[in-house]
Amino acid sequence: MPRWGMAADLDRCNGCGACVVACHAENNISTVGPEEAARGRAKHWLRVERYWEGDFPDVRVTFRPVLCQHCDNAPCEPVCPTYASHHTEEGLNAQVYNRCIGTRYCANACPYNARFFDFFNPSWDKPLHLQLNPDVSLRMVGVVEKCTFCVQRINGAQVQAKAEGRGVRDGEIQPACAQSCPSRALVFGDLDDPESQASRLSRSPRGSHLLEDTGSRPKVAYLARQA
Amino acid sequence: MDRRSFIKLTAVTGTSAALASCGVPENQLIRFVPDEDIVPGVAVWKPGVCPLCAAGCGLTVRVMDADADVARNGQLGVVRIAAAKKLEGAPNHPVNRGGLCARGQAAIQVTYHPDRITQPLKRAGERGDGRYEAISWDDALADVVSRLDGLEEAGNQRALAFLSRGGASHRAVLIEQFLARFGAPPPAVYELFGDEVLRRANATSFGREQLPTIDLANAMFVLSFGADFLGTWNSPVAQAAAYGVMRQGRPGIRGGFVQVESRMSQTGASADEWVPARPGTEGVLALGLAHVIMAAALRPASAAGRAGALVDGWSDGLRSYTPEQVEKITGVAAARVVRLARQFAEMRPSVAVVAGPPLAHTNGLFTAVAVNALNALVGSIEQPGGVFFTPQVDLAAALKMSGRAAGAPAPPFRLQREGADDPHIGDAQVLLVDGANPVFTAPRVWGVDQALAKVPYIVSFGSFLDEMAVLADLILPDHSFLEAWREAVPESGATVAVASVAPPVMRPLYQTRSTPDVLLEVGRRLRRPLNLPWQTFDQMLAAAFAALPSASPDADAWTDAQAKGAWSGPVPPGLGRAASLPAPPAARPIAFEEPRFDGDAGQFPFHFLPYPSSAFLDGSLAHLPWLQEMPDPLTSAMWSSWVEINPAAAERLGIGQGDVLEIASAHGSIRAAAVLTPGIAPDMVAMPVGQGHRTFTRYASGRGANPVEALAPMTEPATGALAWAATRVRVSRVGPPDGRLVLFAGGMREHVEEHR
Amino acid sequence: MSHPTGVRINNDLLRPLLLTSWRFYLLVAFFGGFVVAGGIAWGSQIYYGFGIAGLKWPIYWAFYVTNFVFWIGISHAGTLISAILRLVNAGWRRPVTRCAEVITVFALMIGAMFPIIHLGRPWLAFWLFPYPSDRLIWPNFRSPLVWDFFAINTYLTGSILFLLLPMIPDFAVVRDKSTGLRRRIYRIVALGWRGTPKQWHRLESAMQIMAIAIIPVAVSVHTIVSFDFSMAPIPMWNTTIFGPYFVAGAIFSGIAGLLIAMAVLRKFLHLEDYLHPVHFENLGKLLLVMALLWGYFVFNERLVTYYGNGPAEMTVFWQTQRRSFAPLYWTMVFGNFVLPLVLMGIRRFRTITGCVIASLGVVVGMWLERFLIIVPSLGNKYLPYSFGSYSPQPAEIVVTVATFAAMALLYVLFAKFIPIISIWELKAGEHPSPVLIPPATEEHRLGELHL
Ligand SMILES: Nc1nc2c(c(=O)[nH]1)N[C@H]1C(S)=C(S)[C@@H](COP(=O)(O)OP(=O)(O)OC[C@H]3O[C@@H](n4cnc5c(=O)[nH]c(N)nc54)[C@H](O)[C@@H]3O)O[C@H]1N2
Ligand SMILES: Nc1nc2c(c(=O)[nH]1)N[C@H]1C(S)=C(S)[C@@H](COP(=O)(O)OP(=O)(O)OC[C@H]3O[C@@H](n4cnc5c(=O)[nH]c(N)nc54)[C@H](O)[C@@H]3O)O[C@H]1N2
Ligand code: SF4
Ligand code: SF4
Ligand code: SF4
Ligand code: SF4
Ligand code: SF4
Ligand SMILES: [Mo]
Repeated sequence: MPRWGMAADLDRCNGCGACVVACHAENNISTVGPEEAARGRAKHWLRVERYWEGDFPDVRVTFRPVLCQHCDNAPCEPVCPTYASHHTEEGLNAQVYNRCIGTRYCANACPYNARFFDFFNPSWDKPLHLQLNPDVSLRMVGVVEKCTFCVQRINGAQVQAKAEGRGVRDGEIQPACAQSCPSRALVFGDLDDPESQASRLSRSPRGSHLLEDTGSRPKVAYLARQA
Repeated sequence: MDRRSFIKLTAVTGTSAALASCGVPENQLIRFVPDEDIVPGVAVWKPGVCPLCAAGCGLTVRVMDADADVARNGQLGVVRIAAAKKLEGAPNHPVNRGGLCARGQAAIQVTYHPDRITQPLKRAGERGDGRYEAISWDDALADVVSRLDGLEEAGNQRALAFLSRGGASHRAVLIEQFLARFGAPPPAVYELFGDEVLRRANATSFGREQLPTIDLANAMFVLSFGADFLGTWNSPVAQAAAYGVMRQGRPGIRGGFVQVESRMSQTGASADEWVPARPGTEGVLALGLAHVIMAAALRPASAAGRAGALVDGWSDGLRSYTPEQVEKITGVAAARVVRLARQFAEMRPSVAVVAGPPLAHTNGLFTAVAVNALNALVGSIEQPGGVFFTPQVDLAAALKMSGRAAGAPAPPFRLQREGADDPHIGDAQVLLVDGANPVFTAPRVWGVDQALAKVPYIVSFGSFLDEMAVLADLILPDHSFLEAWREAVPESGATVAVASVAPPVMRPLYQTRSTPDVLLEVGRRLRRPLNLPWQTFDQMLAAAFAALPSASPDADAWTDAQAKGAWSGPVPPGLGRAASLPAPPAARPIAFEEPRFDGDAGQFPFHFLPYPSSAFLDGSLAHLPWLQEMPDPLTSAMWSSWVEINPAAAERLGIGQGDVLEIASAHGSIRAAAVLTPGIAPDMVAMPVGQGHRTFTRYASGRGANPVEALAPMTEPATGALAWAATRVRVSRVGPPDGRLVLFAGGMREHVEEHR
Repeated sequence: MSHPTGVRINNDLLRPLLLTSWRFYLLVAFFGGFVVAGGIAWGSQIYYGFGIAGLKWPIYWAFYVTNFVFWIGISHAGTLISAILRLVNAGWRRPVTRCAEVITVFALMIGAMFPIIHLGRPWLAFWLFPYPSDRLIWPNFRSPLVWDFFAINTYLTGSILFLLLPMIPDFAVVRDKSTGLRRRIYRIVALGWRGTPKQWHRLESAMQIMAIAIIPVAVSVHTIVSFDFSMAPIPMWNTTIFGPYFVAGAIFSGIAGLLIAMAVLRKFLHLEDYLHPVHFENLGKLLLVMALLWGYFVFNERLVTYYGNGPAEMTVFWQTQRRSFAPLYWTMVFGNFVLPLVLMGIRRFRTITGCVIASLGVVVGMWLERFLIIVPSLGNKYLPYSFGSYSPQPAEIVVTVATFAAMALLYVLFAKFIPIISIWELKAGEHPSPVLIPPATEEHRLGELHL
């Protein structure tokens, strides 16, 4: 049974935001418009956090793509009263939108603020809806949504591999963000396969996990910027 | 025990005993509700070409069935169509290698934009008020043809002007041929953030009038003078891919990277060292490094060859560019100059890159030539880890077209009137516009809208009612890039020649027509037909690709390129585009001249830097909602305009985050919200270009402010290019935060308020 | 001080039930108006989408959950106090118990609405219910929200029983004093009460059992409510002190609520002869004790955090102590600590007016306490990029105001239909079991806090 995870190399990431838009495109994340964005309702399953250090002229910036960390001991799961937020056998933190009743408890419990609430019914100005990905369910008002590690791509690749009577090859599954990333900062793969690129990178001496001390056992490893 | 297994304890309480009996209970339960509503459907992947910038990245487009309201034969109805669903970088494309930038990801919204122009329109109101009425293609084309015939009858063919964005492409060749055969001047090309200065410098230094391809992947040390090569400049996806390799793609080797600029760009944010130099003095720093390298005998002056010989004082080792002198001019400490010089000379291969603000000064050509000389000095030209020039196919030659078919080459129309007999856009009788929007991107003082008001007949091929299209008398909307044959001939991004091409991915949604096909048809319908040898654009493409050698044994070049989305390889003999300038060495050696700024430093104390926004470039992408809502890399701003100002300067002026500021130059003023950021010199304010559209679809109209409006008409004298970083401004606070600035991030300092 | 006789008790306490003045209608209309406004606000929220509330990323709980915790807290006054006083047999409690227990039931009913009001999809609230379904879908028993569901339902059921049991003899009194429809209704609810010694004995035993059983339930309810926060790994939430801290705060706010209710009843229903200053003084002393206890908890929580100096905790800590939430924080300290300490600590101020002022301070302070536990932590959770701030929108404000109006409305209606002071307990002289219930007259002399 695979255990899906990701390695994000902060030495490669340059903050370009391609991953952010790729995630919107793949996962039918609706834009909320300027007024709602101003009210803090923008939904970015993946965001590139930037932090300034120092003052002019000795300034430094750190970029860090933050998405759901698919925690092995996810704080968002036990608190959910309906199992809408739950763990799959492959280690994903999955979200069943039609079971979610919108308590937002999971979003509060998530140390990474990786969960987003649908304050209104998501809508698309026609014909922008033609772009919607039929593999990804649309959400409705009042539920919480989040990064799924592009589970539709994982499932698709597994079905394909099964049909061809083989296992899923390392690198075969690329979530939309990793696929788009020009500098190849994001690497997705099976952490239980010691040979997979993601698991090798995760073991890098540059690697660490975000907010590990919350006990959430995140599965996204961040490889520190050098120098 | 962890949180998830805690259930086992609660199970003992009895209520959930039934659940506990089936192992990890939620897995048992979840079977009963779907975790994903997978809708069946078969996806096909088709090649495409990203249309949003000159980089020409290759796409693979996911196409699936969808029900759409579309027009077919004039009838509206719901039809099951094959619809593009997702754009991805084509994995084997020589430029982008599977990657795509944020803009490329959003390109699909161009096709499905709710405010697309869906059919030919004829002006029904005053110019600019946006009232149009529908017109049939037949009538529309007849209208254009009669106008052109009118010019021809009057022997006034040279009054036909064509305005486009430039860049090499088959489409550009078609336009040129159309104009030449008609007897009109070549197209006027205007791009706000064009790279004429750098092209000219490369022609002067290396005989290549072309943008460079930087072999970052093999570089050990990269020194960039203001080039936003990871964000908006040149071929950002190719460059970011190589950058990733430069940093972490070579076992045990990590390339170093220093950025010189006075406002931290997205690219500068990734540098190991960020060096703010005074605006317009970057070339001095480059020569300072060259001086140190030569003085320390790390490389001989002669190593730079012609690129060095161009520079005043080069053969004497640039004696007037001592580190101390350089410190005085640039503000970069002498010791740092020495250290950077040693790093640059010793961490081989090293490469210097220059673009963006340093070249947008009145001495831009000097700066570019200086950096070229520095590159040449350390031997970084056409060497691994250095600067390359992507071989270019001469498209006209491939199409067996001679240069200009009719009459002597006339100089193209200009947007800015310099001399009295300067061919000026306002003197045109008929103006065709493809892809350019100078009303938005040219400085107010150039008076582009007044000039256009004098043109009796304007035809736009635009898909959206932007500031340019709204002045048109006739709009002949182009297909979207997914509905038509698309191609690109990237100027940069690969070390072999590349020509991207892709057939239509889906059927057109509306009554639009491919602009090249429209031009061909107009050419046929004229009283004196132009006799272009192709009926349709794809015939022209087929002819061009037929001249190329096939990259695959099983298919000819044309078939193979269509299947792969690109042709690439060595340029066959006779088809290479020669270095277009035989490079007459500059009449006199090129020396540093103080950059000139518009506005007196006392009255206008701040340098003003409008810069291409990560999301919208020069504003042509402000209509895409995904890009509007994408948080800006450095400020996290969405749907907004803002002014970046150093906190120290802000404090002096009593300005707080989000306060509304007025930025006034001698030529205009704009208002936007303040963003306090440490990554900018205290005597500079910067503003992204892109917002402030008067009309550009529901998503961009009336949003934010356009910094170009305040720009002074300063130019780089050798090229006439707009020196967009040479304006000085006054900054004043006009009000408290009023909600116009929308930030995604709550806080972005490393130790936010922790111990306050 | 006059000591009413049995007949006067009957007359005084039944007067509001039997006579209806215009003021009753005015009050019902007034409070009802607010309640209707609240209903409209909630309805709009469902109709237009949750977005009309002020919540945002990452502050997903604010006013509604504050109200939830606050009202569940208020509910701790009644049943808990009256149970304790019953068990220790504090005679002065008798005029107080019923109005206290009513507070519990109503506050619980109001508080329990909020988990539904705050749901993104309130129409699916029944999914919290462990009903058997052919899809074998059960709620997640690990979720503190599901524990809340059970805890609150248990407490509500217990409190209703606790309130209803001693009403039976009073229903019988009303039944006997009234005619017509009213008589028929009260006959039903009096459950055939005849006042036989056997019935009295059963009532007493039932009350005794209920009083013992309800105390752990009450304590556990607010402990479980505190788990909603302390179970999440969020700075300043994930702390062991929350259980007792919440319970103490609950009782504290409950007493304050009770004092205000008593003062209002005394004035408007002219119950000066039944609710004496000594009742207020005794409860005031209790308020003082709770203020000290509350201060102890807050001091403890803050000191430990400060000393531990964890970066995430300290970010939240300074938010409340000095930064954007400081005005609210120090208002809370004033209302919950300074004010009750001064007013209730100094004998001269421990008057009815003093009690009411102190109680108002505590009610405001305790509401703020809940708000300040929830919002600053959510707005300053670990990663500064995702920090946020919150300001309420009209929907939340209207719903919040409406809940206070709902409390008042329910109280007005209750006082209209049921004797707000237990008649039979006051008339303990006519009661066959004087050992259990000492006569009212004697109790008034005691005038001391019997705890
Ligand atoms: N067109 C079409 N129709 C089909 C089928 C098909 O393939 N195509 N398949 C058929 C088959 S095999 C099946 S099994 C049925 C399935 O049909 P349904 O049983 O209707 O299944 P769902 O559509 O998944 O709907 C499940 C409902 O349960 C709700 N729900 C989720 N979590 C909870 C919870 O905790 N408690 C409660 N009470 N409700 C919850 C969801 O919101 C949703 O409304 O459909 C049959 N009908
Ligand atoms: N993502 C997701 N997964 C789900 C569900 C969901 O809602 N979403 N629902 C779950 C549920 S409730 C169910 S019942 C299962 C259903 O899962 P499946 O049992 O896989 O159901 P179908 O997808 O309908 O596939 C049935 C196959 O049988 C073929 N078939 C049709 N008629 C015949 C026939 O006469 N003979 C034979 N030999 N083959 C035939 C069809 O072509 C099809 O390939 O899926 C479960 N999995
Ligand atoms: S990152 Fe947040 S949402 Fe994702 S699994 Fe962890 S706790 Fe849950
Ligand atoms: S918001 Fe939805 S997923 Fe999150 S805890 Fe509530 S029901 Fe579960
Ligand atoms: S893995 Fe998929 S869902 Fe998650 S952030 Fe990346 S693109 Fe979005
Ligand atoms: S696409 Fe890659 S480089 Fe760009 S922000 Fe995302 S992770 Fe970083
Ligand atoms: S770099 Fe240009 S061509 Fe390439 S994906 Fe981005 S916008 Fe498109
Ligand atoms: Mo099923």
